[in-house]
Parts: sequence; structure tokens; C-alpha cells
Amino acid sequence: MQQYLLSLLLFTPLLAALLSLFLPATSTATFRIITVVVNVLQVMFLLVLLLNYQAGAGLQFVELKPWITLNMGNWGILKASYFVGVDGLSLPLVALAVFILFIATIASWKITQNVKGYFILLLILNAAIIGSFTALDFLLFYLFFEFMLLPMFFLIALWGGPKREYASIKFFLYTLLGSILILIVMIALYVSVHDPSTSGQLVHSFNLLHMADASNFISTSVLDPHRALQLGPFSARTWAFLLLFFGFAIKLPMVPVHTWLPDAHVEAPTPISVILAALLLKIGGYGLARIAFPIFPDAAFHLGWFVGLMGVISIIYGGLNAMASKDLKRLIAYSSVSHMGFVLLGLASFTAEGTAGAVYQMFSHGLISAMLFVLAGVLADRTNDRTISHYSGLAGKMPTYTAFILVAFFASLGLPGFSGFIAEIMVFLGAFKSAGLGGPLHESLAIVATLGLVIGAAYYLWTLQRMFFGPLNVKGDFSVDQLSDLNRREYFILLPLALAILFFGIFPQPLMSVIDPYAQHFAAFVLETGKNLTLTP
Amino acid sequence: MDAIHTYSFLFHFCLVAALAFPLLSFVLSFYISEKYSWITSVLASFLLLLGTLASAVVLYQAWNHPPFAYRLEWFSLAGYSFSAGVYINNISALMLFIVTGVSFLVHLYSVGYMAGDAGIQRYFAMLGFFTFAMQGIVVSGNLLMTFVFWELVGFSSYMLIGHWHEIPAAAEASKRAFIINRVGDAGFLVGLMIVWAHGHSFDIAALQHMPVDPTWMTLASLGIFCGIVGKSAQFPLFTWLPDAMVGPTPVSALIHAATMVAAGVFLLARVHFLFTVPALHIVAVVGCITALLGAVSALAQHDIKKILAYSTLSQLGLMVVALGAGSPQAALLHLFTHAFFKACLFLAAGAVIHSLHQAQHQSHVHFDVQDIRNLGGLEKKLPFTFLIFVISGSALAGLPLTSGFLSKDAILTALVQWHGEGFSWKLLILAAVALVSFLTVVYTFRMIWKIFKGSETATAQLHISEPPAVMRAPMAVLAGVSLWIWFSWNPFNFYGWMYTNIGEAKPFHSGMVSIASAIWVILALGVAYVTRQVTVGSPLLLNAFYFDRLLKQFVEKPILQLAALTHHADKKWIDGFLHATAYAQLIVAHLTGWFDRAIVDGLVDGVAGAAKGLGSFTRSFQGGKIQLYIFWATFAIIIFIIWTLL
Repeated sequence: MQQYLLSLLLFTPLLAALLSLFLPATSTATFRIITVVVNVLQVMFLLVLLLNYQAGAGLQFVELKPWITLNMGNWGILKASYFVGVDGLSLPLVALAVFILFIATIASWKITQNVKGYFILLLILNAAIIGSFTALDFLLFYLFFEFMLLPMFFLIALWGGPKREYASIKFFLYTLLGSILILIVMIALYVSVHDPSTSGQLVHSFNLLHMADASNFISTSVLDPHRALQLGPFSARTWAFLLLFFGFAIKLPMVPVHTWLPDAHVEAPTPISVILAALLLKIGGYGLARIAFPIFPDAAFHLGWFVGLMGVISIIYGGLNAMASKDLKRLIAYSSVSHMGFVLLGLASFTAEGTAGAVYQMFSHGLISAMLFVLAGVLADRTNDRTISHYSGLAGKMPTYTAFILVAFFASLGLPGFSGFIAEIMVFLGAFKSAGLGGPLHESLAIVATLGLVIGAAYYLWTLQRMFFGPLNVKGDFSVDQLSDLNRREYFILLPLALAILFFGIFPQPLMSVIDPYAQHFAAFVLETGKNLTLTP
Repeated sequence: MDAIHTYSFLFHFCLVAALAFPLLSFVLSFYISEKYSWITSVLASFLLLLGTLASAVVLYQAWNHPPFAYRLEWFSLAGYSFSAGVYINNISALMLFIVTGVSFLVHLYSVGYMAGDAGIQRYFAMLGFFTFAMQGIVVSGNLLMTFVFWELVGFSSYMLIGHWHEIPAAAEASKRAFIINRVGDAGFLVGLMIVWAHGHSFDIAALQHMPVDPTWMTLASLGIFCGIVGKSAQFPLFTWLPDAMVGPTPVSALIHAATMVAAGVFLLARVHFLFTVPALHIVAVVGCITALLGAVSALAQHDIKKILAYSTLSQLGLMVVALGAGSPQAALLHLFTHAFFKACLFLAAGAVIHSLHQAQHQSHVHFDVQDIRNLGGLEKKLPFTFLIFVISGSALAGLPLTSGFLSKDAILTALVQWHGEGFSWKLLILAAVALVSFLTVVYTFRMIWKIFKGSETATAQLHISEPPAVMRAPMAVLAGVSLWIWFSWNPFNFYGWMYTNIGEAKPFHSGMVSIASAIWVILALGVAYVTRQVTVGSPLLLNAFYFDRLLKQFVEKPILQLAALTHHADKKWIDGFLHATAYAQLIVAHLTGWFDRAIVDGLVDGVAGAAKGLGSFTRSFQGGKIQLYIFWATFAIIIFIIWTLL
């Protein structure tokens, strides 16, 4: 069973979605149960995966099957494969995805409107997310990447808040633009790379590992690293890197292409917000680490300072925007922008610390943002009002809720003991030492980024002060009586999240030992290859 | 190097126990049902007592033995180990004992002071956690670990200062304390980054051999100093400390004495070797400014707790000056003595507040009990508290026979030695410190006089009784250890067992300094007595030079404006651009739509119309009338004939 583990993880939700299609829409409970069963199965598969995973052994659980092979005559052979596997980058994210999707299912219990459609879309989304994190063939990755878009669009557009149409279309167009940028590079890569395993015939492959090897580029092709084709101000490879970078940066999201996120979050129903923040954003960072950086290390090395700078700008700009937000969910959304900036900064450092910090940050932010959005959802469920200024003194009325809020806020502002701290300190250490190792970042970037910590503390504590402390008082179209404390379902959604955040903050070694070999390899590879490729004319 | 010394199992056990008991107190507080919340207070105090005993054993076993170092790998990355190290030498063992001991006394005192408080469980939980975090800083042998506990101390102080969170001022003050500390911590983090980039280790022992060029070393030490400035409330990050007075008084005692603010000075002493000469000069100047600022501001305060808060500021400044002058042991001695007498003063102040609150509660008279202008003549009603106040106040003022005299003497001696011969700016610092010690006497005397001497005003009608024994006992203990005897046999020579064992003792002690210092404080006492009725009404001093308002105006407001600007940028510029492109697309779409309809469709329609017209025209030939057919046939033949003929 081991060699099919990833496929099991991937196809279980798809099969369940297919099965659900044929069930009558009236039996609402069935769809919930089917989804939960899928989640439980996925957890079991994941456990087997984790138990058999060997840190440091590179890609594992690899499945490589021919998928599309088209003989195009003079154009060579088009070859795309069903190629999946996990390593130190994807395993934490796959684990996160399985965990968060389970949480999201439970958080979806309250959905009453068109339950069948909702859960079918959720299952498709589930498969697409797992697929994106495991695919090692560019075409396959792209397929899953695009496949996420559609269910997400409908989940926001049909089950969302009052301005859901605007938000969903904005989300769709933004990410579609990103997809197109990625598509362009994918086609350029496809014509530039050949499969080294086949001799004689020219086989164009979408294999990401082949693409990451400079010797597999067909000489005189458009992206050949030894050719350095100039297109305007940049070389073709730099252009390609930039396109990929912006394609994934939209997903991340990075300032200034982030404005879809607050709107999408504010309008999306709680479980969808959770998935969006915890998982979808990660695909941006994942794409950079899996595709953009390894395939174009030369351009990445060249533009590393730019990537790092954009990271720092995101950290500070996102934080400031969070401070100015009047809506709790919007505040959390902007804090996500701020925190994902650390991923950029860490990756751009080209150091093991920075890379590990970036991956750790993706994992940790997945947990923390999920918790934050569940918490925001709790309040919205009670009163349908998330305006910060409409609340005051909730601590006395909702003590358990406030306790969880404290955990989530302090975790998010990077208090030691919570997972975010490990991630951020690693990013800082890596970003600062980058220059000393010949990496692309200047020391000042890391120093300026520490401002993000202060701003983070400011907006969270200010929110605590405004909403939770002081005398109990509410404004708006609801009464104090609606503010009941957490119910059991909410409590049991939040508790595992809080425990996980605490666990990975106090005991980082289990996760770090998975990331460590990957981070070392990644940093050494991009730094060395980046330098060498840049030197050769 | 060091003689191999094997520490006993008892030592290991007690070291773990000393840290575990406060943490246990934190954890257990959550498991006690709310109905019996008073159990929490007793249980927490008991656990802290055990912790104190354990730390006493640690102190006894470690004293004057080779340092105990233990490293446990926390996690590793790229071959580098991030370890959680413990390092116990004389200084940390002593500090551990003092922290745990003072915290125990504060716990005990809180049993009485906080009785009946609705959030008593949360209070004791955080008190335990606060102690644990501080202990973590003390025993840590690793800068990263120190930073972890450093931030946790910040967090627990946030929770404790804001304990009465319904009060807006408390919520505000706790927020400020944390954010200002965060500013300092950001600097600390930069220091850590420099250390890591150059040494790849956070181990304090290993850092001593770190080869770093002096510029980076200076920057690293100044970075770490930023953290210390935040935590030890030095200029310019001091405003949180006076504001933090809104928290419960025992918490203030803890924050001001053994935990929190002490952490900065302790760390500075511990990583003193990292500091280069230019960095130390900056340290000395910052400390001096803080000491002066605190002392003159304390003169104008009329809230008991505010006076004490500014006095802490000033005393911390003195410690930092001593560190800047290269004498960590003088600073540490003052830190230790200060821990006792300042805790004692706060507890005594708390006793006054508590007793008056109780009395007010019974008689329904309302006035601000913390305002010394409302107080006076309490000597008779609160004789015990008065005695405690006098002893601990004398120690603060540095009168002979108190611990404060010894440690202040140590600082002055260090400064005298530091400034050396001739005139330099260092002499100014020495003069400023002398002035601070003078002012300390004045404001301390004035405070005690105003509270206990003179005639009663607002309190005359109240039936006031001393606080319960559970509160009096800790006060008595702390007052007891404010005497000289615990630090040095000779009340005029600070070279006691403690001073000589907490650093390399420098063979310099001038009896002259002690004598001059004794005369100086007696003189100050005289001045204080003469000017006791003079009130310093300067609003400038009352508000500590309006420093918090300056911060608000020039830091907070611009940041909020910047935040509003980014919000605007998102809404108007980025989204505006998006909407504009969307509209542009729409316009293009409409144009192409029009082109489709008018031109393309027009053409197609035109062709179709032409065909239709032609069709209907030809159709009209076939009307079904035979005459018409004959007509058209004839017509066609005629045309045909004409055409062939031509």
C-alpha cells in the first residue's frame, strides 16, 4: 500500500465527490458524514506516511506513471507524467492540509444551504490542494493549481457574505492572472527542456526535477541558461523567473498584489476562510520554493534582493494595514499578508536557516491563521458583526473565547513558546547572515523587518484592548445576550489548533528534522547554482 | 581550566524543582474549580515556598564552586545546534534564590491582598508563570533561551499589569508595557542576529571566545542593550514603568524588585564581556540620564506608587551606570539589595492602600488613597507599616546601616575608580550620580513624612487597622533583609561575602568614599527635613518631562497616520487601479461589441438584406398569374433580341 499512499490521499476525496454526485440532495447529513469519513481516512494515510517517512532521504513515496505521451513529429514528443512524491518541503504542508481540511469540515457543520454542492466542492478542493503539494510534474501541478480556483470561486460566490460577488470575481481574476503568468513560463520551459533519460528522440518533459537541472536545457532554446537570451532589459530566464514570481506572489499574497485577500476573506464563510488562509496562500510560497527558485536559481540569485525587499515591504505594509483595519477578519487577513512576507524574506536569504524558517512559517501560519479565522467566525456567527469598534469588554462575557483569542493573538505576534516564534527567528537569522555567505540580502533588510514584530504586537494588543478589555459594551444591531461563550463544537475545533501551535513552538525538533535536510539542500543548491550560472556567459 | 566538580543528584533535582514549582503553580491554577478559588492562592504560595527551598539548596551547593553548565539540544538545523543551556554560577544561583524568594513573599502577601478578587486564579497563575519566566532568564546559559524567557516575562507582565482588565487605564498600560518592551526586543533580536552571523552559537560561555570585529561587536552589544533599555525601563523606553502602576500592588512589587526590570540589569551583567568600550560609554550615559530623570520626576509625584516607580527608574539607572563604568558586581550588589528593599517598599505601600481601602469600604468615604496629599499622620494607626516603611525607605535612601548604603557605596566607588584622574565627562556622570543619591533621600523622606507624620486629613474619620498577618510577615522579612548585615559584616564596607564573590573583585576600596557618602546622605536628610513642606508643583516633572506625550505625538501618531495611508493606498490606489483596468476592459468590450453589431453584423445583415430584397423581388415575378408570366416572357424575349442584335 505504501507506494500508493499519495494516490490514496489524493483520490479518496475525488471518489467521494463522485459518489456524492449520485446521492439525493435531500439527505444532508450523508454529505457531512462522507466528508468526515474522507478526512478520517486521509488522517490514517497521513499517519502511515509519517511513520514511514525517512528524514534526509530526499523525495519519497514517489509514484511515476506515464500520463500523456503525444508524438508531435518534428516537435518531438510531449510527455507529461503522473509524478507525485513528498520531501521536506511538501510533507509538512501535506500534513497541514490534511489537518486543516479536517478542521474545516467540522467548521462547516453549520452550513445549511445547498449542502450537497458545498461538500462536493469541498472534496474537490481537498484533492486539488493535496495534489498541488505533491505533484512533481509541472503540467500535473498546474492542473491541480487551476482546479483549486473553481471550487474556491463558487464556495465564496455562493456561500459568502453580502459582497461575495465582488470578492469572488476579484479573487478569480487575480489568481487567474497569476495562473496565466505561470502558464507562459510552463510553455517556455516545456519547449526548452528535454528528458535526459531518453536518447535519440527529443522528448519534452514537464518533470520539475529535470527542469531544475541546468544541463537538461536544450542548447539555444529560449530558456537555455548558457545562452542568456536578452529580451529588453532582462534575460529570458530573468523574465521567466519574474513571471513565476509574480504568479505565485499573487497567491502568497505579496504587496502590492494582495488586495484580493482581505475582500475574499471578509466575504468567505468561516471554513473557506480557514482553508484560504491556512492552505491556499501556502501554495504561493510552495510554488516559489518548488518551481521558481530551483529552476531559475541564477535569476533568483540575481533578484534575491528584490524578493527579500518585497518580503520586508509585505511585512510592514501588511502590518500597518492591519492596524488600520476596522473589521476583525480584515485585520487577520492583513496580518496574513504580513506573515507571509517572512516566507519571501526567508527564501530569498539562500541560507538553510532562512529556508527552514520560511517552510516553518508556512506550516505555523497555517495553524495560527486557521485558529484566528475560526475565532473571527465564532463572533460573526453570534452577531453577524465583526466591526472592532462595536465591541468592548468581551473578556468578562466570553472568558473561554478570550483565552483562545489570547493564545491565537500572541502566537501570531510571535511570542516564544508558540510555533510562529521559531519560524520568524529562523528567518531573521538566515536573512541577516545571507550577506556574509555571499547571498543576495543586505543586512539592513533583516533589521528593518524587525519593525514587523513591533507592529504585530501593536495591532493585536490594540485589538485586545478595544474589543476584549474595558467595560462590557456593544454597539450595532445585536444585544449582549447573543454573546454566548464557546459551544462544545467550537471548543473542540479550537483546542487541537491551540495545542498544535504550542507543541510546535516548544518542540520544534520533530518538524525541523523533516525540514532540515531539504532546507540545507535547497539553500546550497540555489546559492551554488545561482552563482555559477550567473558567472557563465 | 576549572577543577572538575561533580554536582550531586540533589543539586540537579533541586534545580529542576526550583523551576518546576512555579510552573506547576501556573498549570494547577487552571484545574481548581472556580468555587474554591481561594485554594489557588494557598497552593501557589506553598509551591513557591518549596521552590524557594529548592533554590536555597541550589545556592548552597553552587556557591563558590565551579560553574555548572548543562546543554540540552532544543533543535538542530544545518549542523548547528540550538540548545537550551543552563549555566549556574554564584551570580545566577544567588539571583535564582532571590527571585524565587521574593516571589514567594509576594505570593504570600497576595493571599491577603487579593482575597476576594474575581480573577484570583488568573492572578496566581500568571504570578507563577512570571516567576518561572524570570527564573528562566536567570539560569539560562544561552542567549536564545534568554530571549525566549525575556519575551515570556514581557507576556506575563502584560497579563499582570492588565489584571483588572475592565479598567481602561489598566488595559492601556499593559498594552503600552508590552509594545515598548517589544521595541527593545526588536533591538535585542538584531543583536542576536549579529551574534549568530558571526559566531553561530548563542551559548554565552562560547561567545566569550568569539572572534568578531569591533564594529559588529559594538553593534551587537548595543542591540542587546536595546532589549535591556526596554525591559529595565531606561531612557527613552521608560514610560511604561510608571504607567504599569495601575496593576495590583504586589505585582508592582514583583516587577520592580526581582523580576522584569531586574532582568535587564542581570543580563547586562551576564553578557558584559560582549560590550566594547564605546558601547559601555553609551550604556553609562543612558543609565545616567535615566537615573537623573527618575530622581527629579519622583520629587514631584504625589501618588505613592508613582513615587516608588520613578525611584525604581532612578535606581535602575544607577545600576546601568555602574555597568557602563565596567563594574558589574557593583550593579549586581545594588540589584540584589534593591530587590529586597524595593519589594518591601511596595508591599508597605500596598499595606497602606489595602488598609485604607478596607476602611473606605466600611465607611463609604471616597478619596484617592494613593494620593499622599490626602494622607498624613498614619503613624499611629499603622505603626507596623510605618516601621517597615522607615527601614526600607532608609535602605532606598542609602542611609548607613542599611543594605542600600553598601550597594550605593559600591557604585560610587566604582565610578570614582572609573573616572580616574583629571577632568573628563566621566566626572559629570559621577556628579550626576551623587546628585541622584541626594535626591533619593529627599523624595523618600518626603514620602514617608507625608504619609505618616503631620495630622490626618481625609483619613481622620476612618477606622483603619493594620493588614492581616499573612501580609505583615512578608513585609517584616523583607525589611529584615534590607539591613546591612546580610551583605557584609561591616556596615561601612561593601566588601562582604557577596560582593567579593560575584565577580572579579577589584582591589580598590576607599574608606573616603564611604565616609563622604555617609556625610552626603546625612546632609541630604537634613535638607529633606528642612524642605519637607515645600511641594514641587512642576507639571513638567510630574509628567516626567512629558515624555509619553512626546512619544504619542511623534511616534504613535505618525505610525497611525501611516497605517491610515496604507489603508487608503489599498483602497484607492491598488484597488482603484484594478477597477480602472476593469472599466477599461469593459469599455473595450463595449466597443468591440458595438463593432460586432454595427460593422460585422451590419455587413452580414446587409448581405442578407440584399439577398432578401433580391429574393422578394424575384419572388414577385411568380405571382401565379398566367398573364404576368406571358408579360415577363415577352419582356425577356424582347430584351434577349435587343441584346443579340446589338
